[in-house]
Amino acid sequence: MATPADVTTFRNVVEDRVPTVLVVDDEPTARMALAARLKRLGYRVIEAENGRAGLEALRRERPDLTILDWMMPVMDGPTFCEVIRQDPDLLSSQILMMTSHDQPEQIAEGLARGADDFLSKAASKYEVMARVQAGMRSAALIRRLEHVTEEIRTKQEALERELQSAARYVETLLPASGTVVPGVQLIHTYRPSLTLGGDLFNIIQWSDDFLGLYLLDASGHGVSPALRSASFSTFLRRDSLLHHVGSNDPGAILTEANRQFPLTENGHYFTIVFVSLDLRCHTLSYATAGHNGALLHRRSGETCWMAQPSLPLGFDKSTTYVTAELPIVLGDRLYLLSDGLYEIPDRTGELWGQGRLDETIRRFGDRPLAEAVSGIIAESIRWQGHEQFPDDVALMGVEIAV
Amino acid sequence: MDQDPIFSLEEALARLDDDRETFQMIVKLFVEQGPKELAEARAALDSRNAVDLARSSHRLKGAILQFCAPAVLQACKDLEAAAIGGNLQDAGELYAILERELLRLMSALRLVHSKGIPA
Repeated sequence: MATPADVTTFRNVVEDRVPTVLVVDDEPTARMALAARLKRLGYRVIEAENGRAGLEALRRERPDLTILDWMMPVMDGPTFCEVIRQDPDLLSSQILMMTSHDQPEQIAEGLARGADDFLSKAASKYEVMARVQAGMRSAALIRRLEHVTEEIRTKQEALERELQSAARYVETLLPASGTVVPGVQLIHTYRPSLTLGGDLFNIIQWSDDFLGLYLLDASGHGVSPALRSASFSTFLRRDSLLHHVGSNDPGAILTEANRQFPLTENGHYFTIVFVSLDLRCHTLSYATAGHNGALLHRRSGETCWMAQPSLPLGFDKSTTYVTAELPIVLGDRLYLLSDGLYEIPDRTGELWGQGRLDETIRRFGDRPLAEAVSGIIAESIRWQGHEQFPDDVALMGVEIAV
Repeated sequence: MDQDPIFSLEEALARLDDDRETFQMIVKLFVEQGPKELAEARAALDSRNAVDLARSSHRLKGAILQFCAPAVLQACKDLEAAAIGGNLQDAGELYAILERELLRLMSALRLVHSKGIPA
């Protein structure tokens, strides 16, 4: 005869304890007989004389299996089942309902009200043993599932805390909004699609009247692109650029970055727009690598997308990135932005697109820069109908007032 | 194997995997509880309370099942069925059959309890 010791359960492995059966039956002779049989099979047995007492025992002892009579005073078997299936702490309990009736409609009712299986009161000892062992197997699997789910939840929480910590670090890499140098104001917003995003932007102050600005986008989402972006931002520090490139020319910087950051083994890459602002000469020079997220909004009201056909970084080591130049005047605004800002669908799937973004930027042209940046974000959210962007979104607005 | 015609000692022991100590315990319990259950059924019948009669006969049936006693089990089932169906006209007669058979069963069980189970 197989005993619980022969029937290895996951729970036994996990908790190394004797499986417990709760027997709930108001008829003492039948309850004693069943309890004795179960004890002989090696189970620990708890007895209760009605549904309410059974419920208390279930909450207190958390047995692996409950064998329950259908007809009982105080609380009958089906009501007992309904109560525990509505209790989040108990709903996974395994219940074997005993009945002397074995009509299909009664079995259907019992199952519908929460029983897992049925056992005839007249069942042979072999059937009792088989049903109990089947119930124990189910209970063990459920306990194992609950155990693994709890482990996953704990690990997920730990991972989430790590991600939050990493996200706070990434935020320290971003520039502060406000006056960068006298006459140049920066306002930005950053909304990663996950806790950590692959977009990063910053300002490099070459001198009091010469600034570098960049916005880069690491392909993919999550931790890996965030780490790659953080690594790339180290390369883009002033001292590093002077050491590796020896120039503040955007094209030269991207050409060197292209050599330093080849495609990853998984085919991941960067796109970037790099802009230099010469405040003394009132010129803007820029270069792009697979990125088309820079727009100059002139004080006159015109807009100009600063995009050059170019490969993302890392695709071809021999690529040379070319610098283009534009004149700027007081009151011009420069926006560096992720494509995640405008590649957002509405409920019908239609994208917001560069055209509507362009129109929105022009509409906010006479508003303060901070209002324009928040207004652009608000319009994009209104278009998609919710706050959660599908891709990382960074928007950097710069106003030239010198 | 010593066997009383009102119940099958062999089958009843087999249900308990030949656990004689437990068998004696459930005999003792049933001999104490059985008359109380029967009295409850009698009271329900006298007060024409079909619900209580069904409940009492159902409880008795659960206990009788342990002893593999087909005649008394059938009598109990018949009374329960009549009570569930609200048929109290036939219940008096069915109760009388149950009482007679149950007393026979308890008498046989008392004998086993006092003399012990043959090896």
